[in-house]
Amino acid sequence: MNSRVYILDVGLTRVGDHWKSSIQELAYESAKGLLHRNSRSIPFDGLVVANALSEISSSQQNLGPLIADALQLDNVEAIEVEAAGASGAAAVHVASKMLSSEHWKKCLVIGVEKMRDLEPSKITLAQALSEQAEYTHFFGMSLASLNALLARLYMSEYGTTRDQLSSFPVIAHKNSSTCEHAQFRKKFSRDDVSRSEIVSDPLRVLDCAPVGDGSAAIILASGEEMDAQQRRNSVEIVTSESASGRVNFFERDDMLEFMSTKKAADRAFLKTGLSIDDIDIFEIHDAYSVGAALICEALGLSKRGEACKDAVSGKFDLNGQFPISTFGGMKGRGYPVGAAGVYQFCEAFMQLKEKAGFNQVPNARRALIQTMSGIDSSCFIHILSTQHKG
Amino acid sequence: MSIPFWRNRDRYYRMLGSKCQKCGKEFFPSVLVCRSCHSTDVKDFEMPQSGKLLSYTLQKESISGFEDQEPMVFGLVELDNGVRVVAQIVDTPYEALKMGTKVRTVFRKVRTDGESGQIYYGYKFAPVRVTSH
Ligand SMILES: [Zn+2]
Repeated sequence: MNSRVYILDVGLTRVGDHWKSSIQELAYESAKGLLHRNSRSIPFDGLVVANALSEISSSQQNLGPLIADALQLDNVEAIEVEAAGASGAAAVHVASKMLSSEHWKKCLVIGVEKMRDLEPSKITLAQALSEQAEYTHFFGMSLASLNALLARLYMSEYGTTRDQLSSFPVIAHKNSSTCEHAQFRKKFSRDDVSRSEIVSDPLRVLDCAPVGDGSAAIILASGEEMDAQQRRNSVEIVTSESASGRVNFFERDDMLEFMSTKKAADRAFLKTGLSIDDIDIFEIHDAYSVGAALICEALGLSKRGEACKDAVSGKFDLNGQFPISTFGGMKGRGYPVGAAGVYQFCEAFMQLKEKAGFNQVPNARRALIQTMSGIDSSCFIHILSTQHKG
Repeated sequence: MSIPFWRNRDRYYRMLGSKCQKCGKEFFPSVLVCRSCHSTDVKDFEMPQSGKLLSYTLQKESISGFEDQEPMVFGLVELDNGVRVVAQIVDTPYEALKMGTKVRTVFRKVRTDGESGQIYYGYKFAPVRVTSH
């Protein structure tokens, strides 16, 4: 029991418009290279598909067997995991427990989401599905508006300026400007963000993650099946933790603390004996600027109320103390909701294997991945590690 | 949407929440188990009709079904009993809102269901007018 779990290989599509692809075709697109590179001499035992919105976007459920079919993965257990924006990380969480318990030896996790087929008001509804329907979107309230209420509260409580809040999208887009698979390869200034069109005041278009199609895939295996060479080429998932809490942020005792993120991170650090100073990169769920700030504070990268100031100071840049969203995160790389978490794993893998190109953080050995649903109603924390060379 | 709406009518029409019979804590939306003391002895309880605005927003991108009401104003309201809710804010220009603005519950049309034609009603909030005489 309790085998170690490794990521052997990753594959992804660019985030954006994939008008011509169905869900199955898009999933195949992300996985085909990785299936080609990794012989099937050790067969796959499982396929875990991460998706959040296929019922709305494509009138389709049952993606497990549908994608196993498309990929000709015979004899796999094929299951689908939905946890709104955290679906991708929830899928990895499930897969890693299947492997560590030795129920499976090798499996594929594929995140896939198609959003661009939907008209704008349907997308706004789809994004809000993580919230308690009867008391939020029944009344017409979007997820952006809930985040806007939180942003105004945050700014008022801590005296944060509009200009300071804009620093998180600036970091994301600086990193995505050199990321090949990003939806937007473009830099923006804090002024650009602060003056962009209003979505839900005070949040602007550039405070909110864009809407895109995308698919990402990773191969996971238990250490039992691997030789020394394979271990060197892979990245270990050292810990996989999750926590959940109050769904409605307005019902929380402290509205400005992301407790699910804090709890899951505390568990991950307790189990591994690691601390934030042992982590080289942080992939975070920065779908909204205010969320990015609250995540950095919950993880302990900033003191409470100081995340935006820290972001302005360069603390979270690729060459800063705690690099975040190294390929642009949800904001810059793009946010295909249910697939987004799997992208984070691909990106952390590329960093730890020194395949991150212009975005490489030198000597990155450990990565922390924070993925959440809604406004931190649930959070998944994964810590990844690679062996030193030599 | 029509069956859930019917089921929730009292919650939408009268802001019927819950009160814990053991520790006295009040909740909206209603709860099955007290969030404070975990007692299951909770009873229906009507929320107070007034409170103050803690935060507010002007929503310019509509959710499906609300396109004709764009833009909409929403607020985070703390009721007089300390319970916090989010709801639409009406009868005021957005620019007039401030944190701390006193508001009261009003009962209004939410929307007409495009498919069934059914009209949904529910609670919203409006600023309390200061009368001059
Ligand atoms: Zn109680």
